[in-house]
Amino acid sequence: MVSRSRRLVLTGLGILSPLGLSAEAFWQALVAGTSGIRTISLMDASRLPTHIAGEVPGFSAKAMIEKSYRKTLNAMARTVELGVIGAQLAMQNAGLGKGTVPPQRIGIEFASLMGATDLNDMAAAAKLTSPDGETVNYATWGREGLNEIIPMWMLKYLPNMPACHTTILYDIQGPSNTQIPGDAAGLIALAEAGRIIRRHAADVMVVGSSEGRLNPITLARYNLFLELSRRNDDPAGAVRPFDATRDGTVSGEGAAVFILEDLDHATRRGANILAEVVGWSSGVDRGLSGQGLARVIRHALAMAQISPAEVDHVNAHGTGTTTGDAFEARGIAAVFGTQTRVYAPLPQFGNLGAASGLMELAASVLALHQGQLPGTINHTQPDPNCPVYVHTGRPQPVTQPYVVKVSYTPLGQCAAVVIRKWNP
Amino acid sequence: MMRRRVVITGMGVITPLGHSVEALFAASVEGRTAVGPITHFDARTFPTTFASEVKNFDLANYLPQAERFRHFGVNTHYALAAGQMALAQAGLLEVTGDRTRMGVYLGSGEGKEDFEALVTSTAKATQPGERTCNIRDAVGWLYQRLNGPQEKEQEMFVPSGQLANEFVLEGPFASCQTACAASSQAIGEALEMIRANEADVILAGGSHSMITPLGISGFNRLTALSQRNDSPQTASRPFDRTRDGFVIGEGAGLLVLEELEHAKARNAPILAELTGYGSTADAFRMTDPHPEGQGAIRAMAEAIADAQLQPADIGYINAHGTSTQANDVAETKAIKAVFGPQAYQIPISSSKSMLGHLIAAAGAVELIITVMALRHGIIPPTINYQTPDPECDLDYVPNRAREARFRHALSNSFGFGGQNVALVVSAFTD
Repeated sequence: MVSRSRRLVLTGLGILSPLGLSAEAFWQALVAGTSGIRTISLMDASRLPTHIAGEVPGFSAKAMIEKSYRKTLNAMARTVELGVIGAQLAMQNAGLGKGTVPPQRIGIEFASLMGATDLNDMAAAAKLTSPDGETVNYATWGREGLNEIIPMWMLKYLPNMPACHTTILYDIQGPSNTQIPGDAAGLIALAEAGRIIRRHAADVMVVGSSEGRLNPITLARYNLFLELSRRNDDPAGAVRPFDATRDGTVSGEGAAVFILEDLDHATRRGANILAEVVGWSSGVDRGLSGQGLARVIRHALAMAQISPAEVDHVNAHGTGTTTGDAFEARGIAAVFGTQTRVYAPLPQFGNLGAASGLMELAASVLALHQGQLPGTINHTQPDPNCPVYVHTGRPQPVTQPYVVKVSYTPLGQCAAVVIRKWNP
Repeated sequence: MMRRRVVITGMGVITPLGHSVEALFAASVEGRTAVGPITHFDARTFPTTFASEVKNFDLANYLPQAERFRHFGVNTHYALAAGQMALAQAGLLEVTGDRTRMGVYLGSGEGKEDFEALVTSTAKATQPGERTCNIRDAVGWLYQRLNGPQEKEQEMFVPSGQLANEFVLEGPFASCQTACAASSQAIGEALEMIRANEADVILAGGSHSMITPLGISGFNRLTALSQRNDSPQTASRPFDRTRDGFVIGEGAGLLVLEELEHAKARNAPILAELTGYGSTADAFRMTDPHPEGQGAIRAMAEAIADAQLQPADIGYINAHGTSTQANDVAETKAIKAVFGPQAYQIPISSSKSMLGHLIAAAGAVELIITVMALRHGIIPPTINYQTPDPECDLDYVPNRAREARFRHALSNSFGFGGQNVALVVSAFTD
């Protein structure tokens, strides 16, 4: 059996989201039911079928980054900036600074993706290489174009750069890993961080995620193959989880970073505990029947040694896609029937990809902590293909101590995490 | 309670030096190299014009209806082929046993990039003499010119997800990208998942290709690649004083990691035992390793301790050995710090001298070579070693393979971003 010798608690949270630049702003907006989905302003996306998204409003890396590290910003794409500053917020929230924990006893797990290049990083090189915008002359690219590209170009976009910069900023010398399995990456990172603490390879782990997908290349790509809502005229109402009228998801950006800590370590330093992590599991649902997702949820409940009746709510990915929501609902319903509330916060900030799992989890961590569960917005017409009970409307009291969080990728890679309300 | 033991019961590779473990090891022992001019695209005017490419690869040799995967990147193709080989050797290709206890942990990188669509779309939206483009127009052209079905298969969860779906590995999964440490880290963390009883079998390793216009451009701008264009085959010269950067390679290496009792119960071939794993961060710089190898020292020491061994028990080190000035000195210093005076007695070699650097796939392929060296009692050499470097003064098994019997070996992998991983494999004894 899995070693249960060490208990794992969340002691810090940093959020940069379409709902604001702090965890407080995030929570206030969740409770108020307001939406962070708007017409994209970071770039002119009017030529794309879907040009609404969840942008982090007023984000300035220069204003928020530790002063000593400001000069490194020119080596960071926006997704990296979001991740590093999200980690700063989490460390501050946990009362941790450089050296608070012996460097070798703190590690990092990040969920991330390869960033797409800023087009203006290669515009001059591209023009030289393809004067007519139709054909590419490789010889010119190699001979002249390359010299137009900044030397640090590649480093701006590598997936492991949020973790890399965070380790340098805080002298983090324990294990450092970066997870890339899409929307499931955040929960996979959290589970791995849990294993690392349980095997005593660290006492504290930064468990983070960031996503800056609102750039020209990524948005063009996603418009080509993701099911995106065409409700450009109604951004706030665009994503409709498990609703009969849903027509796709909306992209978002942001960072969600937790501090995960051995309970004894947290207690000794008088840390503020947000919630306990008590179970996790992952597995692949080939064919998206829902049975595989149900199995993963049951494994996570078994690790937590609890029954479905002890679960206050299931925090769903709830992307608002036709097949995605139906798949997810089948899996949840197979374990919980229609008895347990399902909460899907995504329509308020969009699908944050690599950052989706931990951002969505943050909503439930705050709900347990505050004792109130906000309602899912935009769910008005239940869909018989989504046989789950979706919690909507005004916030309701939390009545049970546990939450199950679910994430998945389109290839059926499912992950679940169980958290427990912290009672000192 | 006794810790669960984990053994290796299958291995598969797609590499520039062969499409089977046997072919790769034979080439390694002979000291061959596959480095040559880049053929995947026209790189003749790039600062670096050569690489270590996979040649004559056909996915149809490994999977039925391989045309299903025509839109996928080679990272997925190589992973599927190497995975098929590893599972076949382990006797797990046929769908038997509890597949929900079998998982995937892949270190892999980005997929295929559509360089021409990116460049032409950006150029078409850029006025002559300008350094910035009209974003609205560029996005419009990208949307028109990128190929949707192809782009869909380049998402980073795809290689690991396809392995799970194709081979019915329905248990726990993960996929990491920690640059050049990725597949070693995947193997190490997969070991820990099995030890923690979250799975009985994990197909673990890596798959990657960056021999693309953007990949070569990015590394060239960082001046990380060797530019010895007049002598590609001798360009990768780890620990040699005249080294001038790494040679990029591509490929995949996958291993079936299996809990010992599970392997015994089904009479699986036990190739070696995976006994130790250490993982640390340098917290130093984006690309340069810590000059004293601080993080590398701890990774090696932790892996040896995790294997419940002493440094003196290690009979061979498969080095990270990239052929960059910084790595080879830092790694040498780190080995001396861990092993003390004994460092001079341990044979150390770099597979990258022959294979080039497979980036996210490097560690897994090198671990497979290490397992073969352990089983056959032959240590592959570091080729192209001609000019000693006073700062690299250990025994790098120069140029010729060497017979040596040993029971435990260490394999190092360090990545851009400061991740350090060390793995220990041991001859299996019950």
